[in-house]
Amino acid sequence: MAAPVPWACCAVLAAAAAVVYAQRHGPQETPHVQYERLGSDVTLPCGTANWDAAVTWRVNGTDLAPDLLNGSQLVLRGLELGHSGVYACFHRDSWHLRHQVLLNVGLPPREPVLSCRSNTYPKGFYCSWHLPTPTYIPNTFNVTVLHGSKIMVCEKDPALKNRCHIRYMHLFSTVKYKVSISVSNALGHNATAITFDEFTIVKPDPPENVVARPVPSNPRRLEVTWQTPSTWPDPESFPLKFFLRYRPLILDQWQHVELSDGTAHTITDAYAGKEYIIQVAAKDNEIGTWSDWSVAAHATPWTEEPRHLTTEAQAPDHDQHHQLPGTPTHHEDL
Amino acid sequence: MLACLCAVLWHLPAVPALNRTGDPGPGPSIQKTYDLTRYLEHQLRSLAGTYLNYLGPPFNEPDFNPPRLGAETLPRATVNLEVWRSLNDRLRLTQNYEAYSHLLCYLRGLNRQAATAELRRSLAHFCTSLQGLLGSIAGVMAALGYPLPQPLPGTEPTWTPGPAHSDFLQKMDDFWLLKELQTWLWRSAKDFNRLKKKMQPPAAAVTLHLEAHGF
Repeated sequence: MAAPVPWACCAVLAAAAAVVYAQRHGPQETPHVQYERLGSDVTLPCGTANWDAAVTWRVNGTDLAPDLLNGSQLVLRGLELGHSGVYACFHRDSWHLRHQVLLNVGLPPREPVLSCRSNTYPKGFYCSWHLPTPTYIPNTFNVTVLHGSKIMVCEKDPALKNRCHIRYMHLFSTVKYKVSISVSNALGHNATAITFDEFTIVKPDPPENVVARPVPSNPRRLEVTWQTPSTWPDPESFPLKFFLRYRPLILDQWQHVELSDGTAHTITDAYAGKEYIIQVAAKDNEIGTWSDWSVAAHATPWTEEPRHLTTEAQAPDHDQHHQLPGTPTHHEDL
Repeated sequence: MLACLCAVLWHLPAVPALNRTGDPGPGPSIQKTYDLTRYLEHQLRSLAGTYLNYLGPPFNEPDFNPPRLGAETLPRATVNLEVWRSLNDRLRLTQNYEAYSHLLCYLRGLNRQAATAELRRSLAHFCTSLQGLLGSIAGVMAALGYPLPQPLPGTEPTWTPGPAHSDFLQKMDDFWLLKELQTWLWRSAKDFNRLKKKMQPPAAAVTLHLEAHGF
């Protein structure tokens, strides 16, 4: 009775929808990907359509004005980043999809910035790189490391994508390392290289766990302790020396102390009662450069507790102002 | 071709082992040797700068990165990391002693050829300091009871006027000599650090905080 009729109706509708779908998303399932340079002009042809074919262009689903058309071709001038998107051209009457382009507007890469550092001497070193300005499109980097004529493996960092690690096989080498990097994307290519001696790139991480404490009964002292950075693998054979700097928060001038060993120091010339900021840096005893400054520690030297006078008996004096407990009596007021 | 006669070095009088009772051990002389390597490294920096300028470009260019050709007889500081770590004290000291003996010899050869009086003066001064370092290392070895290395017959470096050698190749040899010397001094600092730590009595790092009583 009523049941077969709705079923047949659904089938027809489904078939119609399928036809329309097939026409709209014709042979061009995946759009053609195209990269164009920022600021340039581009002409997008509507696939294989004739120049005089009647078509409509859409970008990301929005119709484009016909004045951008040159026949059936879309002309974009002075490309901006906002021009990136999916461009589709349709046969004007049937809405049949003729062609789709995924347009990516970007730039060719400028010379990359490359630096290498050993914070784990003598285990190895790492190199990091970045582009000074963005390209807005995907880039691939290729790093090669040469020690003299020998190629060394640079293992990708598991977390950071612009870093790789090299393990030292030999120490105390007189032959320099050369690290080269090339970067390319769809619009261009660039490269750079740096050369260095084993010793010059040594720079430890900053000392850890810097703690500053007041020293009881010593109003001008602060005791500072810290730890060698945990990334430094062998402080026994490769000892670090340290540089301490400190100042009261209210002053700009730092005091400096260089310490050849030990991970503790007592400041003995602190201004009484002033809060101090203290930082420590580390360096291999003989080679390389100083680390960055550690996270700052803050401390105020010990101060004597102010004496409370409320317990002392005072002569009743009605002319006297009411005294706050703890303030010294102002004899002038009497 | 670097070659050199240094008979005098190999026949230093054998220093008798110090009487162990009451002596402070080799610690102070290891420290002194370490300090000497630092002093020499500092001295070498200015000496090398002057000498490389005298050699002229490309030797004095910071990016100069030639392949290591020739200068095969120079003692090389470079060593496999694990091998270096596991060197025993005697071997560590011997390698240092032998290296500086050879390097001093070559440096004296350099001095003979150096053109300006100022360079000869600086080189001579450096050679004297380097001789001091050798003596210091010898002292440490003696204190530890190790014999000074004696050259095997036939391996003693002898100076022979080698085949006529281009000016450029001679300069390359000079360049590598200075480079190797600098690297050895860095390596020695690390070698002596390691020796220092091993010689120290277990560090009883006790910091006494005098608590203010009655506070």
